[in-house]
Amino acid sequence: MRTKIPLLICLIFGVIMFAQYFSSHELALSVYNSILEWWQIIFAFTLFVGVAAFMKNSLRGISRGKDTPYKIISLVGLILMPVLAIIGGTKIGSPFLWSFENMLAPMQATVFALLAFFVASASFRGFRARTVSATILLVTALIVLLGRIPMAEMISETFPKVTFWIQNYPSMAARRAILIGIGLGSMTTALRVILGIERTYLRGE
Amino acid sequence: MRLYRRITVLSICFISIAGTVSASDAVQATSGAWLNPDTLPTLIFSLISLLIVLFSIWWVKSGRKFKIREIPGLKAVDEAVGRATEMGSSILYTPGWGGDIQRPTTIASMNILSSVALKTAEYDTRLIYPTHDPVIMAVAQEVVRESCYKAGHSDRFKADDIFYISSSQFGYAAAVDGIISREKPASIFLLGTFEAESLILAETGNSIGSIQIAGTDSTIQLAFFIVACDYTLIGEELFAASGYLSGNESILSSVKAQDIIKILISLFIVTAMIWAAIDPSSTWWVF
Amino acid sequence: MDRLKTRWLIFSGLAVVVVAAYLINIKFKTEPSPATMKAYEFIETLPESSVVMFSFDHEASSLPEIQPLALALLRHAFKNDLKIIGLSLFAEGTAIGYDLMTETAAEYDKQYGVDYVFLGFKPQYISAILGMGESIRRVFPEDYLGNPTDNAPIMSGVDSYDDITMVVSIADGDRTVYWVEYAGARYGQEVMAGLTAAMITSYDPYLSSEQLYAVVGGLRGAAEYENLLDQRGGGARGMLAQSAAHLYIIALVVTGNIIYFRNRRRRGGK
Repeated sequence: MRTKIPLLICLIFGVIMFAQYFSSHELALSVYNSILEWWQIIFAFTLFVGVAAFMKNSLRGISRGKDTPYKIISLVGLILMPVLAIIGGTKIGSPFLWSFENMLAPMQATVFALLAFFVASASFRGFRARTVSATILLVTALIVLLGRIPMAEMISETFPKVTFWIQNYPSMAARRAILIGIGLGSMTTALRVILGIERTYLRGE
Repeated sequence: MRLYRRITVLSICFISIAGTVSASDAVQATSGAWLNPDTLPTLIFSLISLLIVLFSIWWVKSGRKFKIREIPGLKAVDEAVGRATEMGSSILYTPGWGGDIQRPTTIASMNILSSVALKTAEYDTRLIYPTHDPVIMAVAQEVVRESCYKAGHSDRFKADDIFYISSSQFGYAAAVDGIISREKPASIFLLGTFEAESLILAETGNSIGSIQIAGTDSTIQLAFFIVACDYTLIGEELFAASGYLSGNESILSSVKAQDIIKILISLFIVTAMIWAAIDPSSTWWVF
Repeated sequence: MDRLKTRWLIFSGLAVVVVAAYLINIKFKTEPSPATMKAYEFIETLPESSVVMFSFDHEASSLPEIQPLALALLRHAFKNDLKIIGLSLFAEGTAIGYDLMTETAAEYDKQYGVDYVFLGFKPQYISAILGMGESIRRVFPEDYLGNPTDNAPIMSGVDSYDDITMVVSIADGDRTVYWVEYAGARYGQEVMAGLTAAMITSYDPYLSSEQLYAVVGGLRGAAEYENLLDQRGGGARGMLAQSAAHLYIIALVVTGNIIYFRNRRRRGGK
């Protein structure tokens, strides 16, 4: 019973959402709109679960003396931001927005900026002409890297054209093939979930 | 978490009631076609795909067997778990930031988690699972708990090691990076939907010398994983994982169905290509 | 230890190159790509008072790259007296999107509620995108400032994608895919994107099959657009730093291969 009810719910809603896509009848649209609205409501409850789980985990870590400074800063941030929002609002000039623009945004941008450094180290390590295919990859990467900067047009007009060709023909062909495979994989996984063949999401069966 | 499940089921019941009420109101209306003709090609293709999947299931159940080729990334799961056990270290498994539980990629990742958790429970290796979504956290806890139970070591389940970090992309990436740098796991599984944080995580894992198995549905992040990780599951290999690892015939049959559909799509593309070359003005293949 | 030292050398070199290039402040004139040109021409040829929807589907982390792009597109739209409906499918993009819209609107003396409106953030992006295909008011009964959506003069006669000429998704991830797959495929809504450079190639298949109308990408796209508008902005400023970083990585790759072949020859000799 514990697994039968969720499977039945999954089957019914899966079939409804699948069928309504092909219909423009009022009935289908009405059911569809209701489901969309309730989807939003269910999602809102998951935020509570996340906050509760995070607080529980952090407090437990602090009591055990594990990563205490990080956990304390996390909890302070978690509590402070909603307090600032409640007291001062979230509009322009509010303390909440000031914290967002001067603390959160720069921190996020900093971590994002790490990507540039990691791209450099990954390129240094990854692009080695070990085999014929690796050499082709290496030469292609160099052409595309050069073709994407304005200076390349000063060296030769061919670079941007070759870059455009590489991005729009061989690269896109490979990407489309992978996307088709991923699309089919997603479709069959979804079908398995709807039909109840795939049950791992329930309780690891 | 049981309370959460009850809330979810109750909410879904409300949706059903609301939908039924709305439907009964809408029964009076007569506008709109039952079948939208613009969606007909999609419906035909969907029904063909469904028939192929059902045919494959019947094919397997009637006793015929087929093989799935070796997938190096999945074959390396044993090696990765063994390495962590031998080194007395931990395993880090994360589903990425880009998806939530409804995504097929996340469900595919849960399947692999189930197998990995079974092995870690058998070998008493620590499994750390940080995630950005509380629902994924709840599902992962159930998956790992069930795997520990199946392994006969329910006591080895540690709910604290499966935790929610942050819904913010780089908050999540920074936290996982910190965990990798401090815990130094011997093996890292990056399986799920990843976005810009993929290379940050993969490079950090590479810098500490971990063995890394990755798989995602994003073609951009796949390129990063191929450079930075030891094994990468490309495209539908990630979705074939549950059948490959469990050997479940019903699941394997749907993997076979994927191959059949892919062949049909290829034939369609070749036919359309040849037709377009012969008659450039034709458009019958355009949807 | 050698591995760590190499890594630190690479990181330090990149930092020096990018900072130095940014301080030099030379602006390049960049020829617009076909995709940028297509985006520009679409907005340029729209009749006055056409309604365009801007969706700020990005996080604060990509702001340095996204902001010049968003500003260029908004300036073009406001300059041509288009009506703009703004929203966000990312919590972090909400405040950023509102700030960008109001600051740009002030440059062109545009009035909130009449010339533009910001609807705010809606979670569960798929249901939000699908819901707006039926009724925008149902998804956003109030705007970001708490005013009823019905009361905004700009929303008069606008309630679904049928009334919107174009959706411009300013994104740093895959939200634009959902616009294309749900708003585009299901409701026939034209979608255009302003993306970070890393995401451009993943949208090429949608661009070539015309599921996505046009893409303006990264700092280069922003620089190209600023060039077309004959304005100076962050895009042009950042191009030298980006170009320097590219050249540095090319140098790294070449150096890495020279070291690799030298070591291979030594091992072969032994």
